[in-house]
Amino acid sequence: MTQPVLEAVNVVKELGKGAAKVVALKGVNLSLVKGELTLLMGPSGSGKTTLLSILGCILTPTSGTVRVEGEEVAGKSAEELAELRRRHIGFIFQSYNLFPTLSALENVRIALDVIGRKGYQAAQRAEECLRDVGLGNRLKNYPSNLSGGEQQRVAVARAIAASPSVVLADERTAARDSENGHAVMALLARIAKEQHRSGRRGAEAAGPRRT
Amino acid sequence: MVLTLAFRNLFHDRIRLAVTLVGILFSIVLVAIQLGMYLGSSRMITSMIERSNSDLWIMTYGAKSFEEGGILLTTRERHQALATPGVKAVIPLVVAFAEWRKPEGGSTRVVLVGTDAEDGALEPWSLVEGTWQDIKSPDAISADDTYFRELGINGIGDTAQIAMGRVKVKALTHRIRSFTQSPYVFTTLSRARSLLGAESDKATYYLVQLEPGANLETVRRELLNRLDGAEVLTKSEFEDRSLRQWLFRTGAGLALIGGALLGILVGTVIVAQTLYSSTKDHLNEFATLRALGSSSGYIYKVILAQAGLSAVIGYVLGILISLGILYISRNTPLPLVMTPGLAIALLGLTLFMSAVSAISAIIKVTRIDPATVFNR
Repeated sequence: MTQPVLEAVNVVKELGKGAAKVVALKGVNLSLVKGELTLLMGPSGSGKTTLLSILGCILTPTSGTVRVEGEEVAGKSAEELAELRRRHIGFIFQSYNLFPTLSALENVRIALDVIGRKGYQAAQRAEECLRDVGLGNRLKNYPSNLSGGEQQRVAVARAIAASPSVVLADERTAARDSENGHAVMALLARIAKEQHRSGRRGAEAAGPRRT
Repeated sequence: MVLTLAFRNLFHDRIRLAVTLVGILFSIVLVAIQLGMYLGSSRMITSMIERSNSDLWIMTYGAKSFEEGGILLTTRERHQALATPGVKAVIPLVVAFAEWRKPEGGSTRVVLVGTDAEDGALEPWSLVEGTWQDIKSPDAISADDTYFRELGINGIGDTAQIAMGRVKVKALTHRIRSFTQSPYVFTTLSRARSLLGAESDKATYYLVQLEPGANLETVRRELLNRLDGAEVLTKSEFEDRSLRQWLFRTGAGLALIGGALLGILVGTVIVAQTLYSSTKDHLNEFATLRALGSSSGYIYKVILAQAGLSAVIGYVLGILISLGILYISRNTPLPLVMTPGLAIALLGLTLFMSAVSAISAIIKVTRIDPATVFNR
Protein backbone atom coordinates (compact mmCIF):
# COMPACT_ATOMS: atom_id res chain seq x y z
CA MET A 1 0.00 0.00 0.00
CA THR A 2 1.24 3.51 -0.84
CA GLN A 3 2.50 5.53 2.13
CA PRO A 4 0.28 8.61 2.63
CA VAL A 5 2.08 11.93 2.28
CA LEU A 6 -0.38 13.59 4.61
CA GLU A 7 -2.42 11.84 7.21
CA ALA A 8 -4.91 13.06 9.81
CA VAL A 9 -6.10 10.63 12.47
CA ASN A 10 -9.05 11.49 14.67
CA VAL A 11 -8.28 15.22 14.53
CA VAL A 12 -10.26 17.46 16.86
CA LYS A 13 -9.99 21.23 16.87
CA GLU A 14 -11.67 23.44 19.42
CA LEU A 15 -11.66 27.19 18.87
CA GLY A 16 -12.34 29.80 21.59
CA LYS A 17 -12.68 29.29 25.32
CA GLY A 18 -15.39 28.83 27.90
CA ALA A 19 -18.89 29.63 26.69
CA ALA A 20 -17.53 30.81 23.36
CA LYS A 21 -15.86 27.48 22.66
CA VAL A 22 -16.69 25.96 19.28
CA VAL A 23 -15.73 22.50 18.11
CA ALA A 24 -14.62 23.20 14.54
CA LEU A 25 -13.46 19.66 13.76
CA LYS A 26 -14.65 16.51 15.45
CA GLY A 27 -12.65 13.34 14.84
CA VAL A 28 -11.55 13.93 11.24
CA ASN A 29 -9.66 11.16 9.51
CA LEU A 30 -8.00 11.79 6.18
CA SER A 31 -5.22 10.30 4.14
CA LEU A 32 -3.67 11.80 1.01
CA VAL A 33 -1.40 9.87 -1.31
CA LYS A 34 0.80 11.01 -4.16
CA GLY A 35 -0.72 11.60 -7.57
CA GLU A 36 -4.21 11.88 -6.18
CA LEU A 37 -6.51 14.90 -6.39
CA THR A 38 -8.77 15.07 -3.36
CA LEU A 39 -11.62 17.54 -3.17
CA LEU A 40 -13.34 18.54 0.01
CA MET A 41 -16.52 20.53 -0.25
CA GLY A 42 -18.91 21.78 2.33
CA PRO A 43 -20.97 24.73 3.50
CA SER A 44 -19.49 27.85 4.97
CA GLY A 45 -18.37 27.28 8.58
CA SER A 46 -18.06 23.53 8.20
CA GLY A 47 -14.36 23.65 9.11
CA LYS A 48 -12.70 23.27 5.71
CA THR A 49 -10.23 26.09 6.24
CA THR A 50 -9.50 24.95 9.80
CA LEU A 51 -8.74 21.45 8.53
CA LEU A 52 -6.59 22.89 5.78
CA SER A 53 -4.65 24.98 8.32
CA ILE A 54 -4.05 21.89 10.45
CA LEU A 55 -3.00 19.75 7.48
CA GLY A 56 -0.71 22.56 6.39
CA CYS A 57 1.00 22.63 9.82
CA ILE A 58 -0.18 26.17 10.42
CA LEU A 59 -2.61 25.30 13.21
CA THR A 60 -2.10 22.50 15.68
CA PRO A 61 -5.02 20.20 16.52
CA THR A 62 -6.53 20.12 20.01
CA SER A 63 -6.21 16.36 19.84
CA GLY A 64 -5.50 13.73 17.25
CA THR A 65 -2.49 13.08 15.07
CA VAL A 66 -1.22 14.67 11.89
CA ARG A 67 1.66 13.17 9.98
CA VAL A 68 3.52 14.70 7.06
CA GLU A 69 5.55 12.16 5.09
CA GLY A 70 5.32 9.92 8.15
CA GLU A 71 6.66 12.62 10.47
CA GLU A 72 4.39 13.46 13.38
CA VAL A 73 3.57 17.15 13.76
CA ALA A 74 2.68 17.16 17.46
CA GLY A 75 5.14 18.87 19.78
CA LYS A 76 7.04 20.71 17.05
CA SER A 77 8.03 24.33 17.53
CA ALA A 78 6.86 27.12 15.19
CA GLU A 79 10.25 27.05 13.43
CA GLU A 80 10.13 23.26 13.03
CA LEU A 81 6.60 23.49 11.60
CA ALA A 82 7.80 26.18 9.17
CA GLU A 83 10.56 23.83 8.10
CA LEU A 84 8.01 21.03 7.50
CA ARG A 85 5.97 23.40 5.34
CA ARG A 86 9.10 24.43 3.45
CA ARG A 87 10.05 20.83 2.71
CA HIS A 88 6.71 19.22 1.97
CA ILE A 89 3.75 21.56 1.49
CA GLY A 90 2.67 24.01 -1.18
CA PHE A 91 -0.23 26.37 -0.62
CA ILE A 92 -2.76 28.07 -2.83
CA PHE A 93 -4.59 30.58 -0.67
CA GLN A 94 -8.15 31.59 -1.32
CA SER A 95 -7.13 35.23 -1.95
CA TYR A 96 -3.90 34.04 -3.64
CA ASN A 97 -1.84 36.27 -1.27
CA LEU A 98 0.50 37.41 -4.00
CA PHE A 99 3.02 40.11 -3.17
CA PRO A 100 1.69 43.23 -4.87
CA THR A 101 5.17 44.76 -5.20
CA LEU A 102 6.66 41.73 -6.94
CA SER A 103 6.18 40.60 -10.53
CA ALA A 104 4.63 37.22 -11.37
CA LEU A 105 8.12 35.74 -11.78
CA GLU A 106 9.34 37.23 -8.50
CA ASN A 107 6.23 35.98 -6.70
CA VAL A 108 7.18 32.45 -7.69
CA ARG A 109 10.89 32.98 -7.05
CA ILE A 110 10.26 34.06 -3.48
CA ALA A 111 8.77 30.65 -2.67
CA LEU A 112 12.04 29.14 -3.87
CA ASP A 113 14.08 31.74 -2.04
CA VAL A 114 12.58 30.84 1.35
CA ILE A 115 13.72 27.25 0.86
CA GLY A 116 17.20 28.44 -0.03
CA ARG A 117 17.04 28.05 -3.84
CA LYS A 118 18.48 31.22 -5.29
CA GLY A 119 20.10 32.63 -8.39
CA TYR A 120 19.76 31.72 -12.03
CA GLN A 121 18.47 28.20 -11.46
CA ALA A 122 15.71 29.48 -9.20
CA ALA A 123 14.73 32.05 -11.82
CA GLN A 124 14.64 29.32 -14.46
CA ARG A 125 12.51 27.07 -12.28
CA ALA A 126 10.08 29.91 -11.54
CA GLU A 127 9.78 30.69 -15.24
CA GLU A 128 9.21 27.03 -16.04
CA CYS A 129 6.38 26.84 -13.47
CA LEU A 130 4.74 29.96 -14.87
CA ARG A 131 4.97 28.53 -18.39
CA ASP A 132 3.42 25.32 -17.04
CA VAL A 133 0.35 27.25 -15.91
CA GLY A 134 0.17 29.20 -19.17
CA LEU A 135 1.68 32.47 -18.02
CA GLY A 136 4.91 32.40 -20.01
CA ASN A 137 4.02 35.74 -21.53
CA ARG A 138 3.11 37.43 -18.20
CA LEU A 139 6.37 36.94 -16.28
CA LYS A 140 7.07 40.61 -15.67
CA ASN A 141 3.50 41.59 -14.89
CA TYR A 142 2.57 42.71 -11.41
CA PRO A 143 -0.51 41.20 -9.72
CA SER A 144 -2.43 44.44 -10.26
CA ASN A 145 -1.99 43.96 -14.01
CA LEU A 146 -3.20 40.37 -13.99
CA SER A 147 -6.78 39.13 -14.10
CA GLY A 148 -8.17 37.12 -11.17
CA GLY A 149 -7.65 33.90 -13.09
CA GLU A 150 -4.08 34.80 -13.95
CA GLN A 151 -3.34 35.71 -10.33
CA GLN A 152 -4.68 32.34 -9.33
CA ARG A 153 -2.40 30.60 -11.80
CA VAL A 154 0.58 32.53 -10.40
CA ALA A 155 -0.47 31.20 -6.99
CA VAL A 156 -0.55 27.68 -8.45
CA ALA A 157 2.90 28.17 -9.98
CA ARG A 158 4.21 29.41 -6.64
CA ALA A 159 2.72 26.38 -4.85
CA ILE A 160 4.36 23.85 -7.18
CA ALA A 161 7.69 25.65 -7.66
CA ALA A 162 9.49 23.94 -4.80
CA SER A 163 8.13 20.52 -5.87
CA PRO A 164 6.34 19.87 -2.58
CA SER A 165 4.93 16.49 -1.62
CA VAL A 166 1.43 17.92 -1.37
CA VAL A 167 -0.35 21.06 -2.55
CA LEU A 168 -3.16 22.41 -0.40
CA ALA A 169 -5.56 24.77 -2.11
CA ASP A 170 -8.13 26.80 -0.27
CA GLU A 171 -10.28 27.80 -3.11
CA ARG A 172 -13.34 29.86 -2.28
CA THR A 173 -12.93 32.25 -5.18
CA ALA A 174 -13.01 29.56 -7.83
CA ALA A 175 -16.32 28.30 -6.52
CA ARG A 176 -17.83 31.69 -7.28
CA ASP A 177 -16.39 31.68 -10.77
CA SER A 178 -17.09 28.24 -12.05
CA GLU A 179 -15.30 28.61 -15.38
CA ASN A 180 -12.10 29.72 -13.71
CA GLY A 181 -12.63 27.16 -10.96
CA HIS A 182 -12.86 24.34 -13.46
CA ALA A 183 -9.77 25.57 -15.26
CA VAL A 184 -7.76 25.55 -12.03
CA MET A 185 -9.17 22.13 -11.13
CA ALA A 186 -8.06 20.80 -14.49
CA LEU A 187 -4.65 22.41 -14.01
CA LEU A 188 -4.21 20.89 -10.55
CA ALA A 189 -5.37 17.49 -11.79
CA ARG A 190 -2.84 17.64 -14.61
CA ILE A 191 -0.05 18.69 -12.26
CA ALA A 192 -0.96 15.97 -9.75
CA LYS A 193 -0.89 13.40 -12.50
CA GLU A 194 2.24 14.68 -14.21
CA GLN A 195 4.26 15.27 -11.11
CA HIS A 196 2.74 12.45 -9.06
CA ARG A 197 1.82 14.94 -6.39
CA SER A 198 -1.29 14.72 -4.25
CA GLY A 199 -3.66 17.62 -3.86
CA ARG A 200 -6.58 18.61 -1.75
CA ARG A 201 -8.99 21.29 -2.76
CA GLY A 202 -11.53 22.87 -0.47
CA ALA A 203 -14.29 24.89 -1.96
CA GLU A 204 -16.65 26.98 0.04
CA ALA A 205 -20.19 27.42 -1.19
CA ALA A 206 -23.41 28.85 0.12
CA GLY A 207 -24.73 25.40 0.73
CA PRO A 208 -23.55 21.82 0.47
CA ARG A 209 -22.31 21.01 -3.01
CA ARG A 210 -22.22 17.88 -5.00
CA THR A 211 -18.73 16.58 -5.49
CA MET B 1 14.92 38.21 -3.05
CA VAL B 2 15.29 39.59 0.48
CA LEU B 3 16.75 42.82 -0.88
CA THR B 4 14.26 42.96 -3.74
CA LEU B 5 11.30 42.59 -1.40
CA ALA B 6 12.74 45.10 1.07
CA PHE B 7 13.43 47.59 -1.73
CA ARG B 8 9.93 47.20 -3.22
CA ASN B 9 8.27 47.45 0.19
CA LEU B 10 10.18 50.68 0.80
CA PHE B 11 9.48 52.26 -2.55
CA HIS B 12 5.88 51.05 -2.66
CA ASP B 13 4.82 53.96 -0.46
CA ARG B 14 6.87 56.94 -1.60
CA ILE B 15 5.43 59.35 0.96
CA ARG B 16 6.32 57.11 3.86
CA LEU B 17 9.76 56.58 2.35
CA ALA B 18 10.18 60.35 2.13
CA VAL B 19 9.25 60.71 5.81
CA THR B 20 11.74 57.99 6.76
CA LEU B 21 14.48 59.59 4.72
CA VAL B 22 13.76 63.03 6.15
CA GLY B 23 14.00 61.53 9.64
CA ILE B 24 17.37 59.91 8.91
CA LEU B 25 18.61 62.93 6.99
CA PHE B 26 17.63 65.30 9.78
CA SER B 27 19.36 63.07 12.27
CA ILE B 28 22.56 62.75 10.20
CA VAL B 29 22.78 66.47 9.52
CA LEU B 30 22.17 67.35 13.16
CA VAL B 31 24.71 64.83 14.43
CA ALA B 32 27.22 65.80 11.72
CA ILE B 33 26.90 69.49 12.60
CA GLN B 34 27.14 68.90 16.33
CA LEU B 35 30.08 66.52 16.07
CA GLY B 36 31.62 68.69 13.33
CA MET B 37 31.44 71.62 15.71
CA TYR B 38 32.90 69.48 18.47
CA LEU B 39 35.79 68.40 16.23
CA GLY B 40 36.23 71.93 14.91
CA SER B 41 36.33 73.27 18.44
CA SER B 42 38.74 70.55 19.54
CA ARG B 43 41.08 71.33 16.66
CA MET B 44 41.03 75.03 17.44
CA ILE B 45 41.69 74.40 21.10
CA THR B 46 44.59 72.03 20.52
CA SER B 47 46.08 73.41 17.30
CA MET B 48 48.95 75.31 19.00
CA ILE B 49 49.95 72.34 21.15
CA GLU B 50 49.54 69.94 18.24
CA ARG B 51 51.75 72.09 15.99
CA SER B 52 54.52 72.45 18.54
CA ASN B 53 57.70 70.48 18.07
CA SER B 54 58.05 69.31 21.65
CA ASP B 55 57.90 66.17 23.75
CA LEU B 56 56.98 67.71 27.09
CA TRP B 57 55.49 70.99 28.29
CA ILE B 58 56.61 72.60 31.53
CA MET B 59 54.03 74.95 32.99
CA THR B 60 53.09 76.61 36.24
CA TYR B 61 51.10 74.30 38.49
CA GLY B 62 47.37 74.52 37.70
CA ALA B 63 47.61 76.02 34.20
CA LYS B 64 44.13 75.40 32.80
CA SER B 65 44.68 75.66 29.07
CA PHE B 66 47.08 76.92 26.40
CA GLU B 67 45.74 80.47 26.73
CA GLU B 68 45.68 80.51 30.52
CA GLY B 69 49.17 79.52 31.58
CA GLY B 70 50.25 82.80 33.22
CA ILE B 71 53.76 84.21 32.73
CA LEU B 72 55.35 82.87 35.86
CA LEU B 73 58.16 80.53 34.89
CA THR B 74 61.69 81.90 35.17
CA THR B 75 65.13 81.05 33.79
CA ARG B 76 65.76 79.13 36.99
CA GLU B 77 63.29 76.45 35.92
CA ARG B 78 64.77 76.52 32.43
CA HIS B 79 68.28 75.83 33.70
CA GLN B 80 67.02 73.10 35.99
CA ALA B 81 65.27 71.50 33.06
CA LEU B 82 68.32 71.84 30.81
CA ALA B 83 70.44 70.09 33.41
CA THR B 84 68.12 67.08 33.41
CA PRO B 85 69.56 63.97 31.73
CA GLY B 86 67.85 63.19 28.42
CA VAL B 87 66.82 66.79 27.71
CA LYS B 88 68.12 68.21 24.44
CA ALA B 89 66.47 71.66 24.44
CA VAL B 90 64.17 73.77 26.60
CA ILE B 91 62.46 76.46 24.54
CA PRO B 92 60.48 79.30 26.18
CA LEU B 93 57.06 80.39 24.98
CA VAL B 94 54.98 83.35 26.12
CA VAL B 95 51.21 83.15 25.76
CA ALA B 96 48.69 85.56 27.26
CA PHE B 97 45.43 87.35 26.59
CA ALA B 98 46.07 91.00 25.77
CA GLU B 99 44.04 94.00 24.77
CA TRP B 100 44.20 94.98 21.08
CA ARG B 101 43.34 98.57 20.35
CA LYS B 102 42.00 98.97 16.84
CA PRO B 103 43.43 101.67 14.57
CA GLU B 104 40.02 103.30 14.17
CA GLY B 105 39.15 103.10 17.86
CA GLY B 106 37.64 100.43 20.09
CA SER B 107 39.37 97.35 21.39
CA THR B 108 39.18 93.60 21.46
CA ARG B 109 41.03 90.78 23.15
CA VAL B 110 43.75 88.79 21.41
CA VAL B 111 45.94 85.90 22.42
CA LEU B 112 49.52 87.03 22.05
CA VAL B 113 51.96 84.21 21.28
CA GLY B 114 55.63 85.06 21.74
CA THR B 115 57.98 82.54 20.20
CA ASP B 116 61.38 82.37 18.61
CA ALA B 117 60.82 80.29 15.53
CA GLU B 118 64.54 79.63 15.10
CA ASP B 119 64.45 77.51 18.24
CA GLY B 120 62.18 75.13 16.37
CA ALA B 121 59.44 74.67 18.97
CA LEU B 122 56.52 76.71 17.59
CA GLU B 123 56.13 79.08 14.70
CA PRO B 124 53.15 80.57 12.89
CA TRP B 125 52.04 78.11 10.21
CA SER B 126 50.09 78.81 7.05
CA LEU B 127 51.71 82.21 6.49
CA VAL B 128 50.08 83.59 3.35
CA GLU B 129 51.83 86.95 3.34
CA GLY B 130 55.14 87.93 4.91
CA THR B 131 57.72 85.64 6.52
CA TRP B 132 59.13 84.95 9.94
CA GLN B 133 61.92 87.41 9.08
CA ASP B 134 59.24 90.12 8.62
CA ILE B 135 57.80 89.28 12.04
CA LYS B 136 61.25 89.76 13.53
CA SER B 137 61.44 93.34 12.25
CA PRO B 138 60.74 96.18 14.75
CA ASP B 139 57.17 96.29 16.19
CA ALA B 140 56.09 93.49 13.85
CA ILE B 141 53.40 90.94 14.47
CA SER B 142 51.41 88.47 12.35
CA ALA B 143 47.62 88.45 12.36
CA ASP B 144 45.13 86.05 10.82
CA ASP B 145 43.31 87.19 7.68
CA THR B 146 40.00 85.70 8.85
CA TYR B 147 39.93 88.13 11.82
CA PHE B 148 40.40 91.43 9.96
CA ARG B 149 36.99 92.72 10.95
CA GLU B 150 37.41 91.88 14.64
CA LEU B 151 40.90 93.44 14.65
CA GLY B 152 39.81 96.51 12.67
CA ILE B 153 42.57 96.11 10.10
CA ASN B 154 42.73 95.59 6.34
CA GLY B 155 46.03 93.82 5.87
CA ILE B 156 49.80 94.17 5.85
CA GLY B 157 51.07 97.55 7.01
CA ASP B 158 48.19 98.38 9.34
CA THR B 159 49.08 99.41 12.86
CA ALA B 160 47.41 98.87 16.21
CA GLN B 161 48.31 98.74 19.87
CA ILE B 162 48.70 95.63 21.98
CA ALA B 163 48.64 96.24 25.74
CA MET B 164 51.63 98.49 26.27
CA GLY B 165 53.03 99.00 22.80
CA ARG B 166 52.42 99.87 19.20
CA VAL B 167 52.56 97.04 16.65
CA LYS B 168 52.55 96.76 12.88
CA VAL B 169 51.06 93.90 10.86
CA LYS B 170 53.97 92.48 8.83
CA ALA B 171 52.70 88.98 8.10
CA LEU B 172 49.38 87.21 7.67
CA THR B 173 48.36 83.72 8.60
CA HIS B 174 45.31 82.03 7.11
CA ARG B 175 42.60 80.28 9.15
CA ILE B 176 44.46 79.91 12.43
CA ARG B 177 41.18 80.21 14.32
CA SER B 178 40.79 80.54 18.05
CA PHE B 179 38.10 78.78 20.08
CA THR B 180 37.96 81.72 22.51
CA GLN B 181 37.29 84.00 19.54
CA SER B 182 40.26 86.10 20.65
CA PRO B 183 42.51 86.03 17.55
CA TYR B 184 46.02 84.59 17.81
CA VAL B 185 48.73 87.17 17.18
CA PHE B 186 52.30 85.92 16.75
CA THR B 187 55.41 87.91 17.55
CA THR B 188 58.92 87.31 18.85
CA LEU B 189 59.50 86.15 22.40
CA SER B 190 61.20 89.33 23.56
CA ARG B 191 58.57 91.59 21.95
CA ALA B 192 55.76 89.61 23.56
CA ARG B 193 57.41 90.01 26.97
CA SER B 194 57.84 93.69 26.33
CA LEU B 195 54.26 94.24 25.15
CA LEU B 196 52.88 92.36 28.13
CA GLY B 197 55.16 94.13 30.59
CA ALA B 198 56.75 90.84 31.65
CA GLU B 199 60.32 90.55 32.86
CA SER B 200 62.85 89.44 30.28
CA ASP B 201 63.46 86.05 31.89
CA LYS B 202 59.80 85.08 32.23
CA ALA B 203 57.90 82.52 30.19
CA THR B 204 54.50 80.85 30.14
CA TYR B 205 55.78 77.47 29.02
CA TYR B 206 59.02 75.68 28.45
CA LEU B 207 58.80 73.26 25.57
CA VAL B 208 61.11 70.33 26.16
CA GLN B 209 62.72 68.37 23.34
CA LEU B 210 64.35 65.08 24.33
CA GLU B 211 67.64 63.58 23.29
CA PRO B 212 67.18 60.73 20.79
CA GLY B 213 66.51 57.51 22.71
CA ALA B 214 65.65 59.24 25.98
CA ASN B 215 62.73 57.72 27.85
CA LEU B 216 59.88 60.20 28.09
CA GLU B 217 58.52 58.96 31.42
CA THR B 218 61.95 58.84 33.04
CA VAL B 219 62.74 62.39 31.92
CA ARG B 220 59.34 63.58 33.06
CA ARG B 221 59.83 62.06 36.54
CA GLU B 222 63.27 63.63 36.80
CA LEU B 223 61.92 67.03 35.73
CA LEU B 224 59.15 66.84 38.32
CA ASN B 225 61.72 66.06 41.01
CA ARG B 226 63.76 69.09 40.07
CA LEU B 227 61.01 71.66 39.45
CA ASP B 228 59.01 73.00 42.37
CA GLY B 229 55.53 74.28 41.68
CA ALA B 230 55.64 73.28 38.04
CA GLU B 231 53.86 70.62 36.09
CA VAL B 232 55.24 68.55 33.27
CA LEU B 233 52.73 67.27 30.73
CA THR B 234 53.03 65.40 27.46
CA LYS B 235 51.48 67.02 24.39
CA SER B 236 48.42 64.80 24.51
CA GLU B 237 47.93 65.42 28.25
CA PHE B 238 48.07 69.16 27.71
CA GLU B 239 45.65 68.86 24.77
CA ASP B 240 43.25 66.90 26.97
CA ARG B 241 43.51 69.48 29.72
CA SER B 242 42.81 72.34 27.32
CA LEU B 243 39.87 70.46 25.85
CA ARG B 244 38.47 69.77 29.33
CA GLN B 245 38.79 73.42 30.23
CA TRP B 246 37.09 74.88 27.17
CA LEU B 247 34.67 72.15 26.21
CA PHE B 248 33.57 70.64 29.50
CA ARG B 249 34.17 73.18 32.25
CA THR B 250 32.39 75.81 30.15
CA GLY B 251 29.62 73.36 29.19
CA ALA B 252 30.13 74.01 25.46
CA GLY B 253 31.17 70.44 24.73
CA LEU B 254 28.27 68.98 26.68
CA ALA B 255 25.86 71.15 24.70
CA LEU B 256 27.37 69.86 21.44
CA ILE B 257 27.28 66.22 22.56
CA GLY B 258 23.75 66.73 23.92
CA GLY B 259 22.66 68.09 20.53
CA ALA B 260 24.19 65.09 18.79
CA LEU B 261 22.40 62.68 21.14
CA LEU B 262 19.13 64.50 20.52
CA GLY B 263 19.68 64.08 16.77
CA ILE B 264 20.24 60.35 17.20
CA LEU B 265 17.13 60.05 19.38
CA VAL B 266 14.88 61.97 16.99
CA GLY B 267 16.19 60.03 13.99
CA THR B 268 15.70 56.69 15.74
CA VAL B 269 12.12 57.53 16.76
CA ILE B 270 11.13 58.71 13.27
CA VAL B 271 12.69 55.70 11.55
CA ALA B 272 11.20 53.30 14.11
CA GLN B 273 7.76 54.82 13.65
CA THR B 274 7.81 54.64 9.85
CA LEU B 275 9.36 51.17 9.80
CA TYR B 276 6.74 49.92 12.24
CA SER B 277 3.87 51.31 10.18
CA SER B 278 5.42 49.89 6.98
CA THR B 279 5.69 46.46 8.63
CA LYS B 280 2.09 46.74 9.82
CA ASP B 281 0.97 47.50 6.27
CA HIS B 282 2.86 44.50 4.91
CA LEU B 283 1.87 42.17 7.73
CA ASN B 284 -0.22 39.96 5.43
CA GLU B 285 2.76 39.51 3.16
CA PHE B 286 4.95 38.52 6.09
CA ALA B 287 2.23 36.09 7.22
CA THR B 288 2.21 34.64 3.68
CA LEU B 289 5.98 34.22 3.83
CA ARG B 290 5.60 32.46 7.16
CA ALA B 291 2.87 30.19 5.76
CA LEU B 292 5.11 29.39 2.79
CA GLY B 293 7.58 28.08 5.33
CA SER B 294 10.04 30.93 5.68
CA SER B 295 11.99 31.02 8.91
CA SER B 296 11.62 33.95 11.31
CA GLY B 297 15.18 34.87 10.37
CA TYR B 298 14.20 35.33 6.73
CA ILE B 299 11.47 37.81 7.69
CA TYR B 300 13.80 39.64 10.06
CA LYS B 301 16.26 39.93 7.20
CA VAL B 302 13.60 41.60 5.05
CA ILE B 303 12.81 44.12 7.81
CA LEU B 304 16.48 44.74 8.56
CA ALA B 305 17.19 45.12 4.84
CA GLN B 306 14.42 47.74 4.69
CA ALA B 307 16.02 49.52 7.65
CA GLY B 308 19.48 49.19 6.10
CA LEU B 309 18.37 50.51 2.71
CA SER B 310 16.67 53.49 4.38
CA ALA B 311 19.82 54.07 6.37
CA VAL B 312 22.14 54.03 3.35
CA ILE B 313 19.92 56.30 1.22
CA GLY B 314 19.31 58.66 4.15
CA TYR B 315 23.02 58.65 4.98
CA VAL B 316 24.11 59.56 1.44
CA LEU B 317 21.63 62.46 1.31
CA GLY B 318 22.47 63.53 4.86
CA ILE B 319 26.21 63.48 4.32
CA LEU B 320 25.89 65.51 1.09
CA ILE B 321 23.89 68.19 2.90
CA SER B 322 26.35 68.11 5.81
CA LEU B 323 29.29 68.60 3.44
CA GLY B 324 27.48 71.59 1.94
CA ILE B 325 27.01 73.08 5.41
CA LEU B 326 30.66 72.34 6.18
CA TYR B 327 31.74 74.21 3.06
CA ILE B 328 29.61 77.22 3.99
CA SER B 329 31.03 77.20 7.53
CA ARG B 330 34.68 77.27 6.48
CA ASN B 331 35.11 81.01 7.07
CA THR B 332 32.82 81.34 10.08
CA PRO B 333 34.11 81.74 13.64
CA LEU B 334 33.54 78.04 14.19
CA PRO B 335 34.38 76.07 11.04
CA LEU B 336 32.90 72.58 11.13
CA VAL B 337 35.18 69.62 10.59
CA MET B 338 34.42 66.35 8.85
CA THR B 339 37.03 63.63 8.92
CA PRO B 340 36.90 60.27 7.11
CA GLY B 341 36.65 58.72 10.58
CA LEU B 342 33.62 60.83 11.45
CA ALA B 343 31.98 60.04 8.10
CA ILE B 344 32.48 56.30 8.69
CA ALA B 345 31.29 56.64 12.29
CA LEU B 346 28.16 58.42 11.06
CA LEU B 347 27.45 55.59 8.61
CA GLY B 348 27.86 53.08 11.44
CA LEU B 349 25.65 55.20 13.65
CA THR B 350 22.96 55.43 10.95
CA LEU B 351 22.98 51.67 10.41
CA PHE B 352 22.86 51.09 14.16
CA MET B 353 20.05 53.62 14.57
CA SER B 354 18.05 51.93 11.81
CA ALA B 355 18.70 48.47 13.25
CA VAL B 356 17.45 49.67 16.65
CA SER B 357 14.46 51.22 14.89
CA ALA B 358 13.67 47.83 13.35
CA ILE B 359 13.18 46.23 16.77
CA SER B 360 9.57 47.37 17.15
CA ALA B 361 8.77 46.08 13.65
CA ILE B 362 10.48 42.76 14.39
CA ILE B 363 8.51 42.38 17.62
CA LYS B 364 5.32 43.00 15.63
CA VAL B 365 6.28 40.38 13.06
CA THR B 366 7.24 37.86 15.76
CA ARG B 367 3.60 37.83 16.83
CA ILE B 368 2.34 37.08 13.34
CA ASP B 369 -0.07 34.17 13.09
CA PRO B 370 0.43 32.50 9.71
CA ALA B 371 -3.17 31.24 9.98
CA THR B 372 -4.33 34.77 9.10
CA VAL B 373 -3.49 34.01 5.46
CA PHE B 374 -6.58 31.82 5.34
CA ASN B 375 -8.85 34.51 6.70
CA ARG B 376 -8.31 37.12 4.01
